[in-house]
Amino acid sequence: MKEISELNLPKNILYTKDHEWIDTTSDPMRVGISDYAQDQLGEIVFVELPEAGTSRNRGDQFGTVESVKAVSETFMPVGGEVININTDLSDRPELMNESPYEKGWMMEIRVTDPEELKTLMDRDAYRKFLEGIR
Amino acid sequence: MNPSVQSTPLNGWHRQHNAHMAVFAGYEMPLWYPAGAVTEHLSVITHAGIFDTAHMASVLITGPDAFHLLQYAFSRDLNRWNGKPGNPMPTGRCVYGVFLNHAGEVIDDTVIYRFAEDCFMAVVNAGIGQVIFSHLCACRSRLDVDIRDLTNTIGKMDIQGPLSANILMRVLKDPESRLKKMMYFGFKGSIEPFFCHGEPVKLINGIPVVLSRTGYTGEFGFELFVRSEDLLPAWEMIHQAGLEFQVQPCGLAARDSLRTGAVLPLSHQDIGSWPFIRNPWLMALPFQPGESGFTKHFIGEAVLLAEKDADYTCPFAGFDPRKIETEKAVVSDPEGNRIGRVLSCTTDMAISRHNDRIVSTASPDKPEGFRPKGLCCGFVKVNRPLPEGGIVHLDDGRRTIRVRIEKNIRPDRTARCMMEKMISR
Repeated sequence: MKEISELNLPKNILYTKDHEWIDTTSDPMRVGISDYAQDQLGEIVFVELPEAGTSRNRGDQFGTVESVKAVSETFMPVGGEVININTDLSDRPELMNESPYEKGWMMEIRVTDPEELKTLMDRDAYRKFLEGIR
Repeated sequence: MNPSVQSTPLNGWHRQHNAHMAVFAGYEMPLWYPAGAVTEHLSVITHAGIFDTAHMASVLITGPDAFHLLQYAFSRDLNRWNGKPGNPMPTGRCVYGVFLNHAGEVIDDTVIYRFAEDCFMAVVNAGIGQVIFSHLCACRSRLDVDIRDLTNTIGKMDIQGPLSANILMRVLKDPESRLKKMMYFGFKGSIEPFFCHGEPVKLINGIPVVLSRTGYTGEFGFELFVRSEDLLPAWEMIHQAGLEFQVQPCGLAARDSLRTGAVLPLSHQDIGSWPFIRNPWLMALPFQPGESGFTKHFIGEAVLLAEKDADYTCPFAGFDPRKIETEKAVVSDPEGNRIGRVLSCTTDMAISRHNDRIVSTASPDKPEGFRPKGLCCGFVKVNRPLPEGGIVHLDDGRRTIRVRIEKNIRPDRTARCMMEKMISR
């Protein structure tokens, strides 16, 4: 397990308490899971993603991530419509371990209400949150 | 660490190598090392892996009536080696079976080693040494036999995988003669003062070992027994010699996925406090030809012969790596009728389905460019017989997965390969 100081936590993205991230600088906005989440899960062996064109509300489940250890649900950081999914993950789910913010992204969404982004944490707030749950 | 949690002599080594540790059966053991359970699993199928198995227990049974005690308390007929009457189990061989109670339920599974006419060792699961010791003491009646629980006095490690013999060639004294003609479920060596029979087998640094061609992965390999204080130097020497063969230290997660793919049961999970019948491991019972009765009298036999309502235990494999949580999962037939529960569910990462069959990364006829995606697999316990190829659904409340009843799971396993072939690899 990584120490919190060892985690890769980019500063240009926002984080949720369920350890998803969303990149607000991209359009549509990319979503994935954090370095902390992939480290906790261990080796990821299967990923279930939503269908493009479907819409979900903030907090709804959009996928599952299966590791050697467990199965985890992933939840919408904000409400939106799924525009693209990362089809590379079906053949190479380990990309989520190797590159959680780059090659291991999960989906791209068009955000319904940008106001909802204000409820998410920036890097510093997320790091504090992680220190609190450790 | 909780003071009641025990550790093996390799605990410090595991920590130095950043293993992810967890408590299993009262022992703090590695779940996986930084390479990860998938790499560890695949290493055992293509190269070799080493496992700390010193948490397992051994019970020594000696004396003029040791054979008679085991004939009564253990499930295999030791008078019918290879099924032939009047052909007792030879020394230097070992056999898998179970200890049952009078209700025909499993106390534990075991491998029994015969060191001499009157000297046997039962290797049982972690924390069960005392249980089997007490059970055998209760069964002995007036038999002239000495029973000793060797828990934590014998050290044990396994080396498993097709390159295991090549690695042992580098660390054994006089390796050719030691490995030559070593049969599956055969062993050599002795460890004074516990067993002083047969020719000694030693590592090049002089450590005496009992070298057994057995294991719990379904792959070619060995279990090594040493004195507890010799385990760390033996492990380090074998690890060092194995590096050029890409040997991988492996944790409990890989051990679990390898054994499930090999259709081997985990005691107290796949076999346990229900009658030991209607399962894939009936070779552990002394059936007469035609399964009309047994060839000997033993504890539990009456219940097993009379049993009419027992559940059926069946191996299964899914269609992708997705698993379910076993504790909560129910098994349903395709019409939606609940028919049982899930005993084990893990993912064998070395296999995939291809054209209606399961292919392993070790399969000689695998399709070009084959890259296994993994299949979930395990055992279900259901209230009706299920044919091979039958489909059932497993639901843990979070997800439902569709799985197929199988006879075999991971094909092209190497456990029974000829020693000569494996040494020359």
